[in-house]
Amino acid sequence: MVEEMDGLITFYNSYHAIRAEKVLRSAGYRVSLIPGPRELSPNCGVALRFLYAHSEEVLPLLSGNKVEIEAMHEYRPRTANWPEIAASTEDPVRRLRFNRLGGKRFL
Amino acid sequence: MSVTNLDWDSKVIYFDNAATSWPKPPAVRQALDAYFGEAGGNPGRSGHHMSIAAGRIVLEAREGIARLFNISDPSRIVFTKNATEALNLAIIGLVRPGDHVVTTSLEHNSVMRPLRHLEEQGVKVTVVACSPEGLLDPDDVQRALRHETRLLVTTHGSNVVGTLLPVGELAAMARELGIPYLVDAAQTAGALPIDVEELGIDLLAFTGHKSLMGLTGSGGLYIRPGLALTPLMRGGTGSVSEMEVQPDFLPDAYESGTLNVVGLSGLAAGVAFLLERGMEEVRAHEMALIKGFLEGARQIPGLKSYGPADIEQRFGVVSFNLADLMPSEVGLMLEKNWGILCRVGLHCAPAAHRTIGTYPTGTVRFSWSIFNSMEQIEAALGALAGISERQRTGGVLTLG
Repeated sequence: MVEEMDGLITFYNSYHAIRAEKVLRSAGYRVSLIPGPRELSPNCGVALRFLYAHSEEVLPLLSGNKVEIEAMHEYRPRTANWPEIAASTEDPVRRLRFNRLGGKRFL
Repeated sequence: MSVTNLDWDSKVIYFDNAATSWPKPPAVRQALDAYFGEAGGNPGRSGHHMSIAAGRIVLEAREGIARLFNISDPSRIVFTKNATEALNLAIIGLVRPGDHVVTTSLEHNSVMRPLRHLEEQGVKVTVVACSPEGLLDPDDVQRALRHETRLLVTTHGSNVVGTLLPVGELAAMARELGIPYLVDAAQTAGALPIDVEELGIDLLAFTGHKSLMGLTGSGGLYIRPGLALTPLMRGGTGSVSEMEVQPDFLPDAYESGTLNVVGLSGLAAGVAFLLERGMEEVRAHEMALIKGFLEGARQIPGLKSYGPADIEQRFGVVSFNLADLMPSEVGLMLEKNWGILCRVGLHCAPAAHRTIGTYPTGTVRFSWSIFNSMEQIEAALGALAGISERQRTGGVLTLG
């Protein structure tokens, strides 16, 4: 069974979203661009799904390629809520606001 | 060099690449087909696969340009509809009343007109004179720069006389004084190697449809990190949609409204063609054409060509006049009798013609690309020799 992609990265614009897809895919990661869940971000129309287990490797790879992310999220099926946001290259106030909104399954 | 897979009209000798290049690499046409077939969505607006596919085309164009000009962060390249819009964005976006701007006497109206407009609003403009050969002495620029100079803007290569300006030296000079340097690469982008980061260029304006081998309606501006411009336009970007103020991040800050994705698909393919071919090869090919033409032209009585003999200081544009004929007469004869297409007149750059002494008559201009051949140069030299001969002997040249 293919492992479900339980990580989600949101972006401020599609330039960074589509570049992130290219950077990660060419590095061999399984990723998929999806319509961005509105409850997580009002920004760019697309978000990138990936395996959250790779988050530690994915972040430096993106910043090394000058890809800026809005936030990185982990989906936890048990509570059906989006937990704390793991990382962001942008300001903490915005991040907190999105945190409080919670979330739902995006599949 | 042979061109295959094109609807090539062998009767046409196209020497007007400085106006727009023709033919285009076959891959450019194929890219347009691919766009219409697979990627017809609006990039950065929707989350469906056709929108994402369009976004990938835009990214490919941006990354291709970044590779070609050695720009490490592709997001610093913003797309415009042409070099003129890019130059306006840089000039109008940076210069305020009371500021001082330095430019040269070789500039195209796409630089001169925005500057003359700003002059009416209290901007001071110094136009550094170039030599009648179309060469710029960097010391003259050094002397023109002041404390209140807000911008140095020069062309990289003259669209009239075909000379190259010492952009590396000018960039170093401007950098030392903390003055942003804007380079108009409308003619040189895709014609010779340009390394933005090594040269230290702050702003580079380019067009897609000339030597970059893309389509009309595509162009762009590279903006060095740390340099903020006031946008020419504000509007929808597909990002931070909940906010009614313009985003301040690139490229969105300067890309309001839907991009010309079909044009950018052609530009991406054109740039890919150049990257594969290598800019050194493109440059070497054009230099061989310049050398062949200038050597042959010297043998033609009554032909006066402008610019230096040293081809290192030139790119694939030459201007000339023949005997006492008007440029428009020569242009008409070349097309009607030999199928040679070129551009005659003032080439939207009156100051450049004043510099080389051809105002207001203008010149005949030949401009080449990677797709022109030495055989075409020889055919053109034969045509010009024929016109010259008839002029001298009083013969009549009928228009075929």
